[in-house]
Amino acid sequence: MAKKTKIDVDHSVCGGGNKVDPRDCCKCLQICEPAIFLLHQTVGAEEEDPYDPQLWSVTALWLSLCTRCMKCVDACPEGAIRVS
Amino acid sequence: MLTASYSRPNGDRMCESCLKHGTAGKWYLNAEEYSNEIVEKYDLRDFLMEQYLNFEQMSVRKVNGVNAVGLGYKLQMPLIGKVVKHLAENVLHSQNPPKNPLVAEGHIGQVIPLDDAIAILETCAVEPIILKNCMCRYMSRGIKEACCINFGVMSDIVDKLPRFIPDDDKYFVTRKQAVECFTKFNKRGYIGSIWYAPFPYINNLCSCANPECAGIRPRVDFGMKSIYKAEYIIETQQDNCNGCKKCVAMCQFNAITYNLTMKKVVVDREKCFGCGACTHACKDEALYLRPRDEVPQFKER
Ligand code: SF4
Ligand code: SF4
Ligand code: SF4
Ligand code: SF4
Ligand code: SF4
Repeated sequence: MAKKTKIDVDHSVCGGGNKVDPRDCCKCLQICEPAIFLLHQTVGAEEEDPYDPQLWSVTALWLSLCTRCMKCVDACPEGAIRVS
Repeated sequence: MLTASYSRPNGDRMCESCLKHGTAGKWYLNAEEYSNEIVEKYDLRDFLMEQYLNFEQMSVRKVNGVNAVGLGYKLQMPLIGKVVKHLAENVLHSQNPPKNPLVAEGHIGQVIPLDDAIAILETCAVEPIILKNCMCRYMSRGIKEACCINFGVMSDIVDKLPRFIPDDDKYFVTRKQAVECFTKFNKRGYIGSIWYAPFPYINNLCSCANPECAGIRPRVDFGMKSIYKAEYIIETQQDNCNGCKKCVAMCQFNAITYNLTMKKVVVDREKCFGCGACTHACKDEALYLRPRDEVPQFKER
């Protein structure tokens, strides 16, 4: 089996109420051809306002379909994405 | 194992349109399964509310210690891959009363072409009808597009959740407006699909995109039966094709290619989901849909 791709999004910078609200950026979501990333409510913060959650995060979901084009790494204004 | 064997809880009360045209295996033309009675009978109101409150977390939240992150890798593992695929399909195909709103239990759909969608909107769908932002597109691209249509109890639930509400203040629509909206997206090339969510309640008529749709991706990329192909398949009338290539970009399943030698397109019918999007592009009647059952070698949904 080929080596597995690992993609880390630095959640201390992006999402969960930290520096960047991913909903205002979405650069990684939109530049990725196979649409690997998922924008979702921050896990653990759902009690705040479950009807209209304001804390969102990005997680790389469909890892096996990543082509390692590295476009997301270049596109992220915060350098918050690591593909390995 | 997982062929399309839909059991119909109260199968004989079909919509007018089925009575007229016959259902021919079209489970989605059964008015009973759209009804509010089914919601009450299976006690689905709270279940759906709970599920939609946390909708976008479904893939990242761990249920029994696993989530869907890196699903493709999990499926590639010997033995474990088979078990994961089997478990996931069992969840999606569940016909038991749903218990866990945090997984997509009994969430199974089928691709449908424009005419069947119009029949649903005109006769089966229960009012109120609402337009909602496509969750898949929001989750995968951060883009809000009001192309998902919900019915009945589901509309009331969506109305309580601001992130699903389109900016346009007229999101409760008449049947006629819903037909217009669906037609617009269908002609643009989106894939019509109808969903049990959860079985046996039908409340979602979607206009999907690939690879954005989380229901289509497991089928196309991982061979899981998360969605069935339509009751139709494309047929080509090659003599009529002028090689304009307009249909190629319409097919989200990459089933159509242009052949340089013949200066015409060829369709790989194995890949065809029968959505009919390509037929909207063809002005020369070189492409049309026919019932899948008439083409035995591609009868698998
Ligand atoms: S490396 Fe390319 S394919 Fe992989 S997640 Fe980033 S943008 Fe997508
Ligand atoms: S590009 Fe970077 S900052 Fe923007 S949403 Fe993605 S991870 Fe967050
Ligand atoms: S199933 Fe289709 S229309 Fe519905 S939310 Fe997903 S992509 Fe959007
Ligand atoms: S070839 Fe099949 S899947 Fe592709 S657009 Fe036409 S009907 Fe849809
Ligand atoms: S749109 Fe019709 S005429 Fe044009 S290439 Fe496709 S099949 Fe041929």
